[in-house]
Amino acid sequence: MSIYVFKRAAFTLVTFVVVVSATFFLLRIAPGGPFDSERQLPPEVEANLLAAYHLDEPLYLQYLRYMGNLVRFDLGPSIKQHDFTVSELIAAGLPVSLCLGALALLIALTTGVAIGSFAAFRHNSWLDRCLSATTTLGLALPPIVTGPLLVLLFAVSLRWLPAGGLDSYLSFVLPSVALALPLAAAIAKLVRGACIEVMDQPHVTTAKAKGISNVRLAFHHVLPAGMIPILSFLGPASAALLVGSLVIEEVFALPGLGRYFVQGALNRDYTLVMGGVVVYALLILILNFVVDLVYVRLDPRIRIEDQAAAS
Amino acid sequence: MKHNRKFAQNCRRFTLAVIWVFSSTCIVGDETRVLRIGSPGDPQTLDPHRYTLNLEEHILKDMFLGLTAMDAKGSIVPGSAKSWQTSSDGLTWTFHLRENYWSDGTPVRAEDFVFSLRRLLAPETAAPLAFFLYVLENARDVNSGVKQPSELGVSAPDDATLVMQLEKPFPYLPERLFYPTGFPLPAHVVKEYGRDWVKPENWVSNGAYQLADWKPQQAVALTKNPHFFDHEHVAIDRVEYVPVADSLASFHRYLADELDIIGDFPAGELESLRKSHAEHVHLSPLLSTMYLVFNVSTSQFTDARVREALALAIDRQKLTQHILRSGEIPNASIVPPIVEGYSSLIETEGANLEQSRALLKEAGFGKENPLKLTLRYVTGAENKRVYVAIAAMWQELGVDVTLHHAELKVHFSDLGAGEFEVAQAGWFGEGNPEHYIELLWSKIGGINYGRYESADFDRLLEEAKNTVDSIERASILQQAEALALRDFPVVPLYSVTIRSLVNPRISGWYPNPRNSHAVRYMSLN
Repeated sequence: MSIYVFKRAAFTLVTFVVVVSATFFLLRIAPGGPFDSERQLPPEVEANLLAAYHLDEPLYLQYLRYMGNLVRFDLGPSIKQHDFTVSELIAAGLPVSLCLGALALLIALTTGVAIGSFAAFRHNSWLDRCLSATTTLGLALPPIVTGPLLVLLFAVSLRWLPAGGLDSYLSFVLPSVALALPLAAAIAKLVRGACIEVMDQPHVTTAKAKGISNVRLAFHHVLPAGMIPILSFLGPASAALLVGSLVIEEVFALPGLGRYFVQGALNRDYTLVMGGVVVYALLILILNFVVDLVYVRLDPRIRIEDQAAAS
Repeated sequence: MKHNRKFAQNCRRFTLAVIWVFSSTCIVGDETRVLRIGSPGDPQTLDPHRYTLNLEEHILKDMFLGLTAMDAKGSIVPGSAKSWQTSSDGLTWTFHLRENYWSDGTPVRAEDFVFSLRRLLAPETAAPLAFFLYVLENARDVNSGVKQPSELGVSAPDDATLVMQLEKPFPYLPERLFYPTGFPLPAHVVKEYGRDWVKPENWVSNGAYQLADWKPQQAVALTKNPHFFDHEHVAIDRVEYVPVADSLASFHRYLADELDIIGDFPAGELESLRKSHAEHVHLSPLLSTMYLVFNVSTSQFTDARVREALALAIDRQKLTQHILRSGEIPNASIVPPIVEGYSSLIETEGANLEQSRALLKEAGFGKENPLKLTLRYVTGAENKRVYVAIAAMWQELGVDVTLHHAELKVHFSDLGAGEFEVAQAGWFGEGNPEHYIELLWSKIGGINYGRYESADFDRLLEEAKNTVDSIERASILQQAEALALRDFPVVPLYSVTIRSLVNPRISGWYPNPRNSHAVRYMSLN
């Protein structure tokens, strides 16, 4: 067990260093620099700016400086957001992104599981077909399309909810719904498939033969088994939420980390993009590490392999 | 029954409470007179010496008062200086300051301007737009670290007098001084807090407003400065600049009444808005020029006949009236037609395909040997329509055009490195002809993207730069422009228009060629 955990932790750390290093060098290879604009700067001004951010040093020195600072948890000043450090910007944006992601995941899980299980119990009925068509539509429509449509309906026409920004908690409603829709559709499809499969299993047939109620059948025998694929889907789903939030935060002008990330990339704000990568990479790697640990608890084969390796 | 009555009573109480909360919110909203302006992004800084973006300029102009300022209609008026004089050689400018205070109540002194200009040009400040004031004596040498900031051509003989010494005569100095690079900084605050002086808790400024709060990506909030010299005429109490980078999102927020003013909206909405929101829509020509630049060092474009042929094939009217359709002004001069005191010798005419074909034939290009070129532009839906149309106009001549688009930074990085054949370029800003004509000067550096060189043009431009009288200066610039454009190093296309939506309950907002709208002149009806 401990060898397995140690191996996974070492692997996580190495992956983190590789991701950060690759991003550092890829950013420098990307065409255009932080100070390129339609106003070409005189050489004196450009020299002052490069010196202020140590961009006039050889690349390996800049890399060593960055990694050295990272070890001390110093993400440096933002090259373009002059009045803030990268840590200050992340501290401002991360809670918004996490809140958006958590809400979207909650909406996706509840609606996805409800629709999927309902469709499974009404398998092959007209209702099932209608729900399948709706979920396919949900999968096909990306948040960049549904976002503005939701704004037009609920903010511009009905004026029930804010069109953008973060003035109150209501500001989270439309973005999290837009972000959750494709995910809810994917979850509904998964749950429907899994539930239909479980309903053909002998233990369900036995339960039915014993004459238990439909509600009891659903909640005690079908849904728990039907949930297993959802657990494995949560990893890719979190990644999809992160990617989706980059778009959604821009569409709804939400002050989240994704928006800084996009603006940072467009502005070639090297330190800000690096900060974003560090945070995203840490989030995903820690999540994966936790999932690996949970697998040890759930899957006895890992424990057996680990014991064999130890002996 | 008793329960029902109690329930009904509670319901009534709750409803009254809700009505009270809402009505009191409305009263507070009315009393505090808040203006919400959609900004095309978050400011990157609020330090006037580190700013680079137009949106930062707008916010800073509400908070600082430079030596000169702009009135509601965009004309230059006295600011912190109540008057000024120029020496006969045009090299010494003396400004007389009005009685004016910082937002913490301390007086603004001429020494604050001296401190600020020295800080702007000190290399360690790394001010991206320090070169705006290279007109000052020794400014370039100070900025490159060759000379000390104390050697800069600026001095304060007393608290109310500021003297600037220039390298060469520059009659446009009053216009150059209303950019944030020319603003005074509170020396006592900057010295105390260093780079943190821009934090809201340390903030001090001398304009109509002061910084109240700045939540990145949410809003920059300004409140009235009670020490501003004209504060009794400032009607709006609080201004919020709300960053909305996406023009569609900003448009939706305006329609949902979340914003009072937005400076851009999707061009496709213009026609329907003219019907549904006629009194909200404002189109104002901007001091700007959009042009095509030829890289004269590439083999196809060393021959001026080829450049002329391509220039003559472009129908500017078609571009502005059928493609852009937002009131852009077709213009064959590199100087925008709305620049006052300058009339270009270049006429804006329609396309002349016959002459174009003849010129291309003379230069050795035809059906068997077609001219091949790559036209580069900045990624964007509106640009795409314009440059596809230009490519189609050239294809009529039998030219083989490849279109290439890239995001803004990549595009201008390629142009700076000379890696292009023909490309989109643009220049915005000042209301003087020199600002645009000097783009073709061989000594200006990377901004002369096409690396055009003409000894005669350079001689004329330098003569203009040494001329004190602005009328005589404009006449020399006229000749210089005509001389350069005869070589077709660039093809000016049009001046852009700003599409704004302004809530009709706001008065004091006027369309103007600088797109400058100081909130101190506005009021809410």
